[in-house]
Parts: sequence; structure tokens; C-alpha cells
Amino acid sequence: MNQEAIQTKMRQRAKELLNSGAVTMVLGWEAGTFWYQSTPILIRQAEDADKLVWNDFCQNNLSKYLLDFRFTNEKIALFLKGCDSRAFNRLLQDKQIEREKTYIIGIPCEGMKDHRLAQSKNEGDDLPLAKICQSCRYPNPVIYDELLTEEVTPRQKIVDFSDVEAIEQMSADERYEFWQKEHTKCIRCYACRNVCPACNCRKCIFDQATSGWNSKDVNASENQFYAMTRAIHIAGRCIECGQCEYVCPANIPIMLMNKKLIKDIDLLFGDYDAGLSIEGQPPLGHFEKDDPEEFM
Amino acid sequence: MSDHTEQIKTAENGFEPKILVFACNWCTYAGADLAGLSRLEYPPNVRVLRVPCSCRVNPQFVIRAFQRGIDGVLVAGCHPGDCHYTTGNYYTRRRFLLTKRLLDFVGIDSERFHVRWISGAEGPKFQEVVTDITAAIKAIGPNQKLCDYFPTETLLPNEGGDNQ
Amino acid sequence: MQILEKSKLDDFLQMLAKHQPVIVPTDVDGLSQYAPYQAQMTLLLDGKPTVSPKGIFLPQTEAIYRFKAQGKNLLIAEMENQQTPQVLFFVRHCDVQGIVCLDKVFMSPEYTDQQYAKKREITTIFALRCNGSKESCFCTSMGVDPEKANPAAADVEVYDLGDQFAFEALNERGEKVLSQAAELLSNQDNVILPPVPERKLQLKTEGLPEKLSTTFDAPIWNDFMFKCLGCGTCTYLCPTCHCFDINNKLRGEDGLKLRTWDSCMFDEYTLMAGGHQPRTGKKERIRNRFLHKLQYFYEKHQMFLCVGCGRCLTKCPMNIDISKFVQQVMKEESR
Repeated sequence: MNQEAIQTKMRQRAKELLNSGAVTMVLGWEAGTFWYQSTPILIRQAEDADKLVWNDFCQNNLSKYLLDFRFTNEKIALFLKGCDSRAFNRLLQDKQIEREKTYIIGIPCEGMKDHRLAQSKNEGDDLPLAKICQSCRYPNPVIYDELLTEEVTPRQKIVDFSDVEAIEQMSADERYEFWQKEHTKCIRCYACRNVCPACNCRKCIFDQATSGWNSKDVNASENQFYAMTRAIHIAGRCIECGQCEYVCPANIPIMLMNKKLIKDIDLLFGDYDAGLSIEGQPPLGHFEKDDPEEFM
Repeated sequence: MSDHTEQIKTAENGFEPKILVFACNWCTYAGADLAGLSRLEYPPNVRVLRVPCSCRVNPQFVIRAFQRGIDGVLVAGCHPGDCHYTTGNYYTRRRFLLTKRLLDFVGIDSERFHVRWISGAEGPKFQEVVTDITAAIKAIGPNQKLCDYFPTETLLPNEGGDNQ
Repeated sequence: MQILEKSKLDDFLQMLAKHQPVIVPTDVDGLSQYAPYQAQMTLLLDGKPTVSPKGIFLPQTEAIYRFKAQGKNLLIAEMENQQTPQVLFFVRHCDVQGIVCLDKVFMSPEYTDQQYAKKREITTIFALRCNGSKESCFCTSMGVDPEKANPAAADVEVYDLGDQFAFEALNERGEKVLSQAAELLSNQDNVILPPVPERKLQLKTEGLPEKLSTTFDAPIWNDFMFKCLGCGTCTYLCPTCHCFDINNKLRGEDGLKLRTWDSCMFDEYTLMAGGHQPRTGKKERIRNRFLHKLQYFYEKHQMFLCVGCGRCLTKCPMNIDISKFVQQVMKEESR
């Protein structure tokens, strides 16, 4: 099914759900200011459903918005791509949201386009897939109430760790220099944290100035403290949606660090993909007695 | 600080590393105590910080230590199966297997961060571990990475007179 | 007007760099920003850098004073301010206007911020007139003159003539800097300037502050505020956002008092000591940001605190668009 057909169906389903009273609001995407942008929209009236779009730039993960509606009793319908549905599962597993209050319309996703490159191109130009989408293994929603189209074939079967390995090949000093450069650019806007579906603490340590952990002093050291702490806090819960990198205004390769942790978790504690199901425990939330032993 | 610190500063071969030991209250701390009681000599470069369980040590404690100019960190707890709280050290193990690799990934020399299981009876092991780590870190020199420098030109001279 | 062949730009900048540090727009490790000039550097001459030049005058982190607390003794010493002059190159008119906005705040008749004022005093600003317009540019709607940079901040106006640059000193300070490289410049009268293109985004802003003064409780805020992430991208990239926080950096007895950027989009920003949060949610925060830019500041200084640079339009991860908001307000009947 092409994008336009999906879009038509999206609008139709949203209308039906709102009209029937099955849900009171629908979360989707609408056209953004420029052709390479789409932006989340919350629809309460059936006649607004025609604002919904499905195009190459519906990157935003809508699952995290459910946290804003934790304390309402309204039923929400939302559109989820493969990666978004893993985020949904993660939030469900953390008991942050309730399954009964949501209605998931899954969209098997062909991949989003590179929105940064698009800014220097014209509408209609050929664009490559966004970096994160090129290595997507789960384009089909893993949890849904209905699917809009038939499932698509995953672009990758195994995780591509070549970028992580490239860094691992470097000497310690080179690695340090690489990250130092990247983190010097960080402006500490916390967009990566705020967008991350794994970041759902009620109060983040970086929001507690009095705790002394964070300092608003923006320098390479504090930025690295932030980046490493953030990475380790979401280790085992990262669902590889790449939203952190997508929102970063400073173009920092945040996923590189996340992928490194995913790689090590796979090696140390067995293959694990967060958010595929709500069964089991995340790797850092439990242990095995025969875990690798390096510390004797 | 005490004369102890002075002694480190004035050691003859120049660089004396600062090493921070997060020691579990129920084992390593007792182990270090035993080392002292048994008159086992170990380098005065270590600062022991007592924690209720090795599992209390958050990875950000380690990063913060490096930020503030520590040259090496040791997290030490009970042997697997011996945790006072039954399972704490199993979580420690998973967490720091990962943290060690992350530190390595951002370019921190792997000699600078260690985790060891040291029981209350293992005074000699404590001595051995901190001696080895100190020697290794002495060899690779002071830590320059992750440091959050406090610009020294901004230091004010000490006021004379006695302080309260 | 003084003419410089574009091929000689590097020589020109090097010559100036002999006299004082020169700051230019360039790409540093994948983030475009203003950075110290080095020979053979690739300059960003198409469009404006992602990071605005406000950090030159209001750094993201800046030490205000240092102190030492020993027992009951407290020693305080001012920081040494940078004294040597510097030149800031190729600032677009919107960003020049942004600096004028900052001046209103930090160099007001009632109070002058010494550290800010010092940096303004030592910095000569070369403005660059735009020959094109990005799709996100709406500076003209926000009271920026596309023909002339605001002379309250700009010292030299630079025109891009294709193969040449034309320099026009707007004051003595500008002339002095230009004279440092006089041998590369040739005088020419009657320079034909390229036409200024229409900005791609045109907003009606007449009467906007008055109209906004009645919208505080209007439903318009609910419409698209739900999507805000609460990150600081918009405020940190904005050339006019100037909120700051005061922090300590302590090491034993020694300490630094720091001024750091802060963002009104952070939850912590209005959080009070007892835990009370007067600005409870995203809606309240966005409302404050937009109204500060378009109403409160205008009422006080008769100019918008938004200069239409378009950075927040393109960089907001969720595409919260202040220009759309303005259009919507102007379209609607005041409610």
C-alpha cells in the first residue's frame, strides 16, 4: 500500500473511532511547517481527522505522550510504527501506562527519510532513509489492536554494530578524543532525555539541582558526565528508535553509545531486544547466578 | 587533611595516585580493617569509602570520582552468594560488567577502574589488590580524562591566622 | 564603500587576526557556530549558524567572581575580564537585532551588567546583508530591516556582491578595524547593491502585542502545546533568549560563582524551594515564552524579542512553530 492509501485509511479509522465514541482522542501526525517536517497532533473532533498525514517524515514517537495522559480516564487511540510499538511495550513493562486505556493502530513502516539532509534539498528530491531506519529490524508493530496494512519485510535481520566496532578499534586516547569532541558540542538542552521512551523517571537526577549531581556548568566534563550517566541509565531499556539522535540539535551520535551498551548486553547476558514483549525482566533489572565473572 | 595526605604529596618519585575504594560495609571494609590489624602494609594512596553494599555504588559515582581528579577507582564487595542482602552483589556484577566496558568505550584506560570481591577474612587479598592497582596506576600516570578542572588561576591565596 | 575581492577573504581575515582575535561562522565538528578564525578555515557564508552569536556576549557558562571560605573568613575577588578587542564576523541582520535585544536587558539605563557591557565594548561587529532568504526566515515581519543592520549593534555592514564583498563602516570603531587591512581594500563609489529578496515567510504583526494581551486564557494555547517536549533547544539556540541561573562551583575552600544559561522550558526553572510549581505545565511554559517574546518585551521596549531567524522553527524536535502561532492569533478574533 502506498503512503497516500495509508494516509486515507488513517483518517478514515480516526474518524470512525472518534464518531463511534470508542476513543475520545487520537494521537497522530500532521504536516509540519516545511515539507521535511511532520509534527504530532492530538485530535478530539472527527472533522479534524483530515489533518492527519503519513509521509516520509513521521519520525516522532507518539508513545511517550501517553505519559502526559496517565491521569486521565479517557481512551486514546494512537498510531505506532514498529519502533514506537517497542516503546509502548517498554512503558507498559515499566507500568507507566495502561493497555486498556489505549487503542493501537499499527503501521508497518517502510522507513523514514533523512530529515537533516532534506533541509539542503528540494521537495521531491531523492533522499536516503534516515540512518536509524536503514538498520531497522522491527518495522512491523509488535503490539497493536489493528494493522493498517499488510506487514513489510524487515530491512535487516541482525544488528549492524559496524559503527560501534569502528570506535572500538581506536586506541583509548583516540576514543576519548572522539567523544570529547562530540560532547563539547552538547548544549545540554536535554531533548535526548525528554524524547526517550526509556526515560520515564518521575524526577530525573539532572532535574535536581540541589542533589549536586548535575551542574549547569556546560563543559566537556559535565557534558560527558551527563551523556554517560544517561546511557547507563537506559542500558537494557533502549529500543533503538533513534529519537535521541533525531532530536539532537548538535548532531551528536548518541545512538553510538546506546548501541555499544546493547552490544555488550547481548554478549554478556544473551541476546536481548527491549520492548519486544512485556514478559521477562530487563537485563539490568535481574541477574543470573552464572553471569560472566570477571571480578574474582 | 591529615599528615597521611602530606606524606603522599611529598613522596620522592613524584606522582602518587589517588585511588578511591568503594568498600562494602559487610566484607571489604572488614577486610581492610583486618589488613590493618594484621599489620599488613599497603600503599597509602587509597581512600576507603564505606558503602552499605557494593550494589549501592551507582556508575555515576565512578564517573564523578574521575571528574574530581581521582586516578583510579576500585569497587569491592562480597563474593557472589555471600551478600548480606542476599542478592545485591549479583546486580553489582551485571552493572559493572557493563560500566567497565562503557568507560573503556569513552577512552578511560581500563587499568583505572576495577571491581573485586574481597571478603572480611581476606585482609591479605585487600593488601594485594590495592598494591597491584596502585602500582599499575603509578605506571600509567595521572588521570587526565573526564576531569572537571577548577581553573587554578582563580584560586585565592590562603588567609593567614588560625581557621575555625 | 570599500571593496574586497572574495578570493582575498582569507588574507583579509588573517590580516585582521594579527591585531585581534577574529570570530567567524563555521562548522565545528558538525555543529555550525561562531568560532575563532584560523587560517584556511571554511566559513559558513550561506545562511546562519545553528548556534546564535549571543554566546559571544552571554556565554553559556561564565564565572562572575571567585571566593574562598576559610572558617569565618570569606575572600571575594572579581574575575579578570577579557580586555583585548575582538572582531565578530558575518552576523546576519536578525542576529544583530538579537544583540540589540540583549542590550536592552543587560545595558538598560537602570542597570548595566558589567561583564556583558565589557564584551560588547571590545567587540566590533561585522553584519552581513542577506541576498537570499531561507524558507524559515521571517525577520522582516519582526521589525528587522533587511537593507541595513541595526546600527545600535553593527559596526560594519558587509554586502555580498558576488565576486566581491563591499564594506561600509557604520562608525569609527568599524573604520578602525577596516583600516587594519586597508591595502587589500579599494575604495569605490556608487556600488550597485544586489536587491534584497522578499522573505519567504511573511507574517502580519501589526497590533500583535495588543491582540495577545487578551489571549492569556484563550483556547489557542491548548491547540498545539501538548506536543512540547520541555527541552531547551528553542531557548538555547534563540539569539534573544537570555535567562540565566547563578550557580556555585566548589572545590574545598575555593569556589566560583557561575552564571549559566537557563531555559524557561525546563520544569525546574520556576520550581520554588518548598516544591511549589507556579508554572504547572507545558502550556504555561510555552505561553510564557511566546508572550515574553511577542507581548511583554514589546510593551516595555517597543520591539519584539523574536527576530525571525527561524532557528526554533527548524530545530524544535516537535516542530512547535512560533510563526504559525502568530498567524493563528492574527487570523482569529480576539477571544
